[in-house]
Amino acid sequence: MLTVCPYFHVHQPYRVKRYKVFDIGNDTEYFNDNSETDLNNRRIVEKVAEKSYRPTNKILKELLDNHPEFRFNLSFSGTVLDQFEAYTPDVLESFQELVATGRVEILADTYHHSLAFFYSVPEFKRQVEKHERRIKQLFGVKPRVFRNTELSYRNDLAKWCEDNGYLGIMAEGWEKYLGWRSPNYLYRPAGCSKIKVLLKNYKLSDDIAFRFGNKEWASWPLNAETYASWIHSHHGNGQTINLFMDYESYGEHQWEDTGIFNFLRAMPEMVMRHPDTSFKTATETVESYEPTGEYDVPEILTWADTDRDLTAWTGNDIQRDAIAATYRMEEAVMKTRKRDLIETWRKLQTSDHFYYMCTKWSNDGDVHAYFSPYKSPYDAYIAFMNALSDLQLRVNHAAAEREEKDRLKQATVAKEKPTDTQEPETIEDEEEKVVERPVEEVKQSPRRWWEKIINALPFFNQKRQGGISS
Amino acid sequence: MRVLTFGWEFPPSKNGGLGVACFGLTRELLHKGVEVIFVLPKTQDTMGDAQFRFADDERLLKVRHTDALLKPYQQAGSTVDVIVGYDKNGKAIIRSRTIIEEVHRFAHQAALIAQEEDFDIIHAHDWTSYLAGVAAKIASGKKLILHVHATSFDQAASDNVDPAIYKIEKECFDVADKVVAVSQYTKDIIVRKHHVSPDKVEVVHNGCDTHEPERLPPTLQELKKQGKKIVLYHGRISIQKGVDYFVQAARRVVDADSNVIFVISGWGDMITQVIEQVGRMGLSENVRFAGALWESDRDRMYQSADIVVMPSVSEPFGLVPLEALQHGTPSIITKQSGVAEVITHVLKVDFWDIEEMANQILSSLRYPTIRHQMVTEGKLQMQGMAWRFAAAKIERIYRSLLQYITT
Repeated sequence: MLTVCPYFHVHQPYRVKRYKVFDIGNDTEYFNDNSETDLNNRRIVEKVAEKSYRPTNKILKELLDNHPEFRFNLSFSGTVLDQFEAYTPDVLESFQELVATGRVEILADTYHHSLAFFYSVPEFKRQVEKHERRIKQLFGVKPRVFRNTELSYRNDLAKWCEDNGYLGIMAEGWEKYLGWRSPNYLYRPAGCSKIKVLLKNYKLSDDIAFRFGNKEWASWPLNAETYASWIHSHHGNGQTINLFMDYESYGEHQWEDTGIFNFLRAMPEMVMRHPDTSFKTATETVESYEPTGEYDVPEILTWADTDRDLTAWTGNDIQRDAIAATYRMEEAVMKTRKRDLIETWRKLQTSDHFYYMCTKWSNDGDVHAYFSPYKSPYDAYIAFMNALSDLQLRVNHAAAEREEKDRLKQATVAKEKPTDTQEPETIEDEEEKVVERPVEEVKQSPRRWWEKIINALPFFNQKRQGGISS
Repeated sequence: MRVLTFGWEFPPSKNGGLGVACFGLTRELLHKGVEVIFVLPKTQDTMGDAQFRFADDERLLKVRHTDALLKPYQQAGSTVDVIVGYDKNGKAIIRSRTIIEEVHRFAHQAALIAQEEDFDIIHAHDWTSYLAGVAAKIASGKKLILHVHATSFDQAASDNVDPAIYKIEKECFDVADKVVAVSQYTKDIIVRKHHVSPDKVEVVHNGCDTHEPERLPPTLQELKKQGKKIVLYHGRISIQKGVDYFVQAARRVVDADSNVIFVISGWGDMITQVIEQVGRMGLSENVRFAGALWESDRDRMYQSADIVVMPSVSEPFGLVPLEALQHGTPSIITKQSGVAEVITHVLKVDFWDIEEMANQILSSLRYPTIRHQMVTEGKLQMQGMAWRFAAAKIERIYRSLLQYITT
């Protein structure tokens, strides 16, 4: 028995516009670029929807319809879900349809695609909880397997996940920690007793995500049959092949003309042609197999670059300065209890901002290795720091306001009702009140889009009301 | 291999980037065993052989002086006074000549030198030497390389070029066997404006001095003690250099932070205009004119500044950000420069984008980490930009042309 556990990561950040020094104190909108550049968030989401999300979801839906055995996992950042809702609601609905089949699992994540775990565990926890509520609200499910931003992982993160009730966690299957062992089994994170870690088979994952369209690659052009045979070759020396990749590999990183869509369309059938080979979701995988050994990762491990570390995000001085300045604000921001300030601060925690400041490539001359919507890492840093400076002003202002309010209140209380207990303060709640839709309604979501079409066409309604009027 | 080279000038003559480039390139070619005969026009501050800093290579280097009198950065219509001889009483006979006349005179001498000397190839630096190079080619039949350090379009900072200089450029490019441009930016001009085939033009970026300079006692102490931030412009003050845009950005900066002082170091034909502009914009308290600084005075200024701005409207290469980096100070440079192609660790801006230039000045002063990183990473990158890499490319070009003759 060999099973394949694919997971596609869906994410878009809120890119900071070219926010200038002169905007500090004058402009509270950091993410509303409306130019024809790649800083325009709406434009990017609409573009990627056209190239990747819509066509890929269509194929995934067909695959689910045609192959009852087909299963996979999705992970979403909250920032991409918010942008789908605002810019391309049809894409969000198509994802809801996939999840409603019951064969697509959603993984737990941080809401803001942040590296918060390594800077502030309390903030990390709040983001994970916020993400969980959002997933529940949109998809009616509760994630049980965790994956962290950029697949970043460390022993203590696994322990945190175990303590918080997750069944599994995902990580890179990296030789430094695996040694001679195979990533195609489950392992037990060091220091844990219940949770299991699923390791990415980076070779087979990257064959699709990075190498698929590369004409210099020895295996180009790759067809589904060959790829399936590579998977089948693990029969007898593995239990689960974990294929982890960016969702946008389909159509955006690998363009349609590489043949990526045809590959995706054919791949599941080719894989399942071999007897004893099928697909499992992450939860099914951790429930099916026992760990074969310990995976001990004392240092941060990610899925990036040849170093598999965080240096693409925190490798240089400006990156470390920006990320430290961001997390230094935590106490002051949370104290304001202002939802918009907290939300803006969190949007600035998204790892992409720090990635855009990466200068690793400049020393080896590989200019194309790091994609960024900014002209240079320094432009990215300046825009970010200016926006953060403005947020600091707003936070200070809010803190001063609150102090003033408290002082006045105290004075009033002391004067009028010296013995009475203090009135409950009317404060803006830190977390929005989650209005959960009843689960049944969510389950009906495939019908909702259908009804929407019917309602949009008066023709249908009239017919239902008793025939076409003459 | 022996190369007959025509050029303007050599250090320590004080004229800007051209002499520095000729010096750096020649030094490294000599190290590679290439023999260089460097022909210079006679100028008033020309130094003799002993002034050249090629201690161990002197035997390979011959310096020829012609009696043409050329001054760099002049327009075709400019005239120069030349001593053409002496009367019976020993009084100098002075005549005015245009730069074009001088260029032709240089070419005439070049033809004679080319007949006397034994060499394999001709290499002429910048437009005043192009005709000399062509004359030497006609006289000797050897291959000719023209090295473009600037074009008439850069000096004019527009399409309104000096027609006499453009004519020389165009005709000489057509005759040359290879044209070497100091940047892709310059190559694009040559291809687009002079209609030279792109195959004929090779890009060889200038190199830079990569040694660590000594730290000098700081200057502008009294300003620094007051906590002022220093933004430096260093270079010629001419339309090409965009100093007027720099002053406009200064106004925008000072409006936001009056603690910033702008130092303008240099001299040129636009100096009066810039001084008037500073007065008109009410910037007298925040802009200081330091005059033309050389050698250790210049180095001290580089070391004392918080950031250097090169606001050029059109800069074929641009040595200033590299010199500043060497002295530990980061730069803001315009995208309309050749050096922008080779250096990553600077801030880049369009020369006309005053708002963004001011934003970059204020942001870099506000967040010291960015300045620190641009210097540490920039210095690393500079190690790959030594003159020997440029010399190696030039030598390859020599060899590619020589093949047709020697084999």
